[in-house]
Amino acid sequence: MIRRGLLLPLVGLLFLSLGCAAAPPQKDYTAFRAANPRSILVIPVVNNTTNVEAPGLFLSTIPIPVAERGYYVFPVNMVKRVLEDEGLSDPDLVHMADTGRLCNLFGADSVLYVSIEAWTAQYMVITTQVTVEFDYVMKDGKTGDTIWKEHKRVVYAPQQQSGGSPLAALVAATVQAAVTKAAPNYMPLARQANDEVINTPGVGLPAGPYHPKYGESPNSLK
Amino acid sequence: MTARRPSLLLLAALAATAAAGCAPRTAYLWGDYDSVLYAHYANPQNSERYLERLGQIVQKAEVEKDRMPPGLYAEYGYALFEAGRLDEAITYYKREREEWEESRVFMDKMIRNTQRLKENRPGPPPGGNLPPPAGATPGIAPAGEAK
Repeated sequence: MIRRGLLLPLVGLLFLSLGCAAAPPQKDYTAFRAANPRSILVIPVVNNTTNVEAPGLFLSTIPIPVAERGYYVFPVNMVKRVLEDEGLSDPDLVHMADTGRLCNLFGADSVLYVSIEAWTAQYMVITTQVTVEFDYVMKDGKTGDTIWKEHKRVVYAPQQQSGGSPLAALVAATVQAAVTKAAPNYMPLARQANDEVINTPGVGLPAGPYHPKYGESPNSLK
Repeated sequence: MTARRPSLLLLAALAATAAAGCAPRTAYLWGDYDSVLYAHYANPQNSERYLERLGQIVQKAEVEKDRMPPGLYAEYGYALFEAGRLDEAITYYKREREEWEESRVFMDKMIRNTQRLKENRPGPPPGGNLPPPAGATPGIAPAGEAK
């Protein structure tokens, strides 16, 4: 009798922990739902790397996936230029500015802050490994509170050709490295990072008002 | 300068493959908007090309009005503004405002500012470091002309 009483809760606990382990990580979207933004102001990104082209390249990849998720996205280049005219040409300053004030300036519901944490090409003997890493934070214009955030790191190393002679594979890899060296190809990586961050069920950006799935649980994204 | 060429070429090639390949249907007709923006950042002095390419995207998207990307009319309007074509800029700001209620506050401001600039300085382009495209430079006029 006593044994049984002990065993049942134990079994229950086991199930609980199993359940936890199996479930994908999920975010608390309470604040996001309360804010219920229709529009997102994407401001120039903070660059914590030494690559000078990274901010421009990243900024050009972000409007499409965010808008496709169902939000009105303010024209990023126009916003950048207008901020510059307001004396905010340094992205660090823009990121430090009051969220409410930024939103008032543009009539935006929310602001998306992105910082670039890594943007590197590591050259190895016959290949190149390219790494990008971004930090995304979305804040509500009315309260200034963070309503969504994500962090993403994507690493890419070109694969060697399979088949053919080892020499051919070596040559192919060398060519690939040379091409990557001349112009490390970050664009697809930035696109991939954005896509995963925005569209991953349970952690991504909930569907916005222009998306057919607007209002559905973010845990069943897509 | 020469170092930039391969990266641009690569980007263009990539955009082409992406467009030809498995590209899923998007809600909006973006064209090569991201590549155009990036090319503008990589090579900011070529603002005529930027204006022209943006104009082409606008023109293509107008074929299916309900797939006009948010922000595109305004982005194009601002490029026109920077080229000193204030009347056309206002036209496109108004289109953005009509299409997207979320843009109203911002577009109202930009329209007001542009009109003020027009009144104060009839003829010359707005401030900034862009030379005025002398009245007759039809070469850069994109097809998406304001009526």
